[in-house]
Amino acid sequence: MTAISVQKLVKEYPRPDGGVLRAVDDISFTVEQGRIFGLLGPNGAGKSTTIKVLTTLLPPTSGTVLINGFDVVTRSLQVRNNLCVVLQENAVEVFLTVRHNFLTFGRFHGLSAAQVEKKMGRVVELFGLQEVLNQKPIDLSGGLKRRVQVAKMFLVDKPVVILDEATTGMDTFNKRATVNAIREEAQTGRTIILTTHMLEEAEELCDSIAIINHGRIVAGGTMDEVKKMGLQMFYLTLKFNEIGKELQELVQKFAPVKLDIVDNQVSVTVREHHTALNILSLAESTGALKHFEITTASLEDVFVELIDRKRAQEGR
Amino acid sequence: MRNVMAVVYRDALIRLTSLTWLFFDMAVPLLYLLMFGVGFNKAVGMGVTMDGAAVAYNDFFLAGVLSMSCFGSAINQSYGFFVDRDNGIFYEFLTYPMTRGELLLGKMLFQCIMALAQTALTLTAAVWLLNVPLNITLLPLTILGVMAGIAGWFFALSIVAFRIRRNDTFNTVINVAYFVLMFVSSMFYPLDAVPLWLKYLSYANPLTWHTDVLRYLTVGIGSGVVILAESAGFLLFLLVSFWFAQQALKKAA
Ligand SMILES: Nc1ncnc2c1ncn2[C@@H]1O[C@H](COP(=O)(O)OP(=O)(O)OP(=O)(O)O)[C@@H](O)[C@H]1O
Ligand SMILES: [Mg+2]
Repeated sequence: MTAISVQKLVKEYPRPDGGVLRAVDDISFTVEQGRIFGLLGPNGAGKSTTIKVLTTLLPPTSGTVLINGFDVVTRSLQVRNNLCVVLQENAVEVFLTVRHNFLTFGRFHGLSAAQVEKKMGRVVELFGLQEVLNQKPIDLSGGLKRRVQVAKMFLVDKPVVILDEATTGMDTFNKRATVNAIREEAQTGRTIILTTHMLEEAEELCDSIAIINHGRIVAGGTMDEVKKMGLQMFYLTLKFNEIGKELQELVQKFAPVKLDIVDNQVSVTVREHHTALNILSLAESTGALKHFEITTASLEDVFVELIDRKRAQEGR
Repeated sequence: MRNVMAVVYRDALIRLTSLTWLFFDMAVPLLYLLMFGVGFNKAVGMGVTMDGAAVAYNDFFLAGVLSMSCFGSAINQSYGFFVDRDNGIFYEFLTYPMTRGELLLGKMLFQCIMALAQTALTLTAAVWLLNVPLNITLLPLTILGVMAGIAGWFFALSIVAFRIRRNDTFNTVINVAYFVLMFVSSMFYPLDAVPLWLKYLSYANPLTWHTDVLRYLTVGIGSGVVILAESAGFLLFLLVSFWFAQQALKKAA
């Protein structure tokens, strides 16, 4: 079942000079129920604007957005009934205790105090909030406030969860907890859309992604598809006891994307799997190879490459 | 209704965290009444003349106090939108499964509940301390009138709060507007005694309509037909404000 369908979405903001800014420019994607979808892109790409349309905060300029089959324009109340969201901006009741934050949030989503209390234990443990349950967020650190905001999503079981850079400001430990919680929720059948700057987070979590820049999708598909768009790269790091002069020439013959030799360390970037292996066996044959490492392209590299390509295409 | 009550519950929790706020909320109309009442009552001496009859200033001014505190409560409650916006929770509210109207109604209802206590205090003080001859039979209507006043002004001020996104600008605009509205109304003086231009202007002011209705309900001053027209006028003002407030809220994100 398709949980989220975005078709030809356009969102324009008025500009002070009387013109318009097209923050989202003809974006389409769908997310199946129970899947995790990532929206990636640099600052100002249009991620949050897309999220705001999905959550009925802003009406689309044109295009159609359906959440569990409900149109965000004509059935906005039903749409809100089907989702909960962590907005990019902080959103906590700073004057209420963390416990009361949970109770009010639950009540707004139709849960009684008893129902919230029942679920609170697990959520509090998951996000390490035991100590601060009776404190007010006005007295808490930024990362803790964010944890309170994110934790609320796991109290209710709305079918669609939307997370706009949810882990911003969290330390590594809590990022991990959040990532794990998100994955668990997806396994129970909840559909998740997230935006992130943490590329390894998307890589780790998402079933599919869309990379957007200037409001347009520059690449999209399943994680594997995106990686295979001729963007695949292998990074070899080779450490030698000593390096002979001929090695540089030999490696150059493989026409690597990039080659750096510093002291006794060679760093090579190549596109093909077999090229990487051939270079490695060449290195081994010198008898002086001390240490090697091969890593594949991270989403970050894919992302930089895509944006570079796009720029080249646009002649910039 | 469940959603409206969720808003009331939330606002109640917030208000209870600040006893100072709660105290002043309750005490302000009382202070108005005692300060203006005692002061002006002395200064004006034999009171004001309404429809040819002399009326003690305290009796006259009670309705002014009530309508003033409705306006004050509405300012406080609409200012809350700026606080919620600063905390970001305002935007999250807009993603909760409730209509924009329910959010506004919940906020209004909470303020009305607060007003019940406020009004009870004010009326008790008026009767016991200032000997105002309060019409007890019309008391339920007086309470309804107070609630309508809060609703009308809260919706109207919310429109301003949603359109003006800066709280400093909001404060300035509302302060000036409040001052002008009070001056051009029947809150402090009978309109028979003022220049004609001011009288006409005052009758175009919902604050006058509201005050006049409350004055009729509390101490029986005013003519039935005019009061009926003013009630209808204020009700219309309330409904139109509610409609525009919902529209403004839809564009507030
Ligand atoms: N309310 C607004 N009015 C006018 N322009 C806006 C508004 N909100 C966003 N924009 C503009 O729209 C574009 C997209 O912004 P958006 O917040 O969607 O980006 P983003 O991808 O979420 O960026 P970030 O990674 O920084 O959060 C930007 O150019 C931004 O300046
Ligand atoms: Mg953003």
